[in-house]
Amino acid sequence: MITHSDEGPDFDPDDPLAVILRPASDYLGPPVGRYEAIRRRASRRRLLRTAAGAGVACAVAACIMLPLRLAAPDAPVSPAVPLAPPPASTPSAPPASPEPVRPRPTERTATPSPATSESPTRRPSPSRTSTPAETPTAPPTVSDEPPRVFDEPSAVREP
Amino acid sequence: MLKRSREKAASELFAALYPRLAGWCRRLVDDDETAHEIASEAFTRLWARWTAVAEPRGFLYVTAANLVRDHWRKLERERSAVRRATTEAAVRPPPEQADPSVRLLVQALPERLRVPILLHYYADMPVREVSVLTGRKEGTVKADLHAARELLRAHLRRSLDHTL
Repeated sequence: MITHSDEGPDFDPDDPLAVILRPASDYLGPPVGRYEAIRRRASRRRLLRTAAGAGVACAVAACIMLPLRLAAPDAPVSPAVPLAPPPASTPSAPPASPEPVRPRPTERTATPSPATSESPTRRPSPSRTSTPAETPTAPPTVSDEPPRVFDEPSAVREP
Repeated sequence: MLKRSREKAASELFAALYPRLAGWCRRLVDDDETAHEIASEAFTRLWARWTAVAEPRGFLYVTAANLVRDHWRKLERERSAVRRATTEAAVRPPPEQADPSVRLLVQALPERLRVPILLHYYADMPVREVSVLTGRKEGTVKADLHAARELLRAHLRRSLDHTL
């Protein structure tokens, strides 16, 4: 069991320890300008620590965000208009000829003005206007085939 | 307004504590310049801290004690390097051993006992304050002080026997 006085030292005044462990009584005044120098140094250190803290925070944020960014799917894909297959009713013909282009403008001009209803007689419904797959298919079949039919009977040239 | 009052408080704290702290450091390092350096560094660390220190006096003394210990270690390394380099020093024992100073006696204490001795006797802090600063119970601090005194006494006796 430790039994010793708490606040007061447990040695006599003439104990050598009393001389050694006497409280500091000497004072050392600060040199001129020391206070300002210390304050400046402290504020500089504080600023440095702030900058370092901000840098570490940014680095941590980047370390967290980067894997998340890479793991996430790419930029959101804009919804593309699905290419509808050509309607089964119309005969499948290559819509490559320049002719199908022609009807489109006529169709557009025609639809707003119902007064000129004579020319677009074949397409009375305005709901079918914009689909590109449908508009080319109908006229080409009509326009392409005749030339071929006319070329074939080349019997005129033979003799 | 707040900044000015804070500046005033810092100035008052400096005026009240610096001379005593620097004097305490000088007693431990026996060198005015080093004492000023250590005291200045302790104040710099105090004012560079983010949060306000609740007990600036204790913080200053503990910081200064750590800096003094670092200074001693550095000196010891230099001394041992010089001792290794010169054969003369190896033949003749260093003069500090014949006349032990407070510095050497405190240096001989283990870390655990050194800080309470430094704070209680050299910084003149009551046991309660030392216990708060070191994070130990008051009874533990008292036991540490007692153990440190016994160790110092033994060191002193041994060195006196050497001199006689």
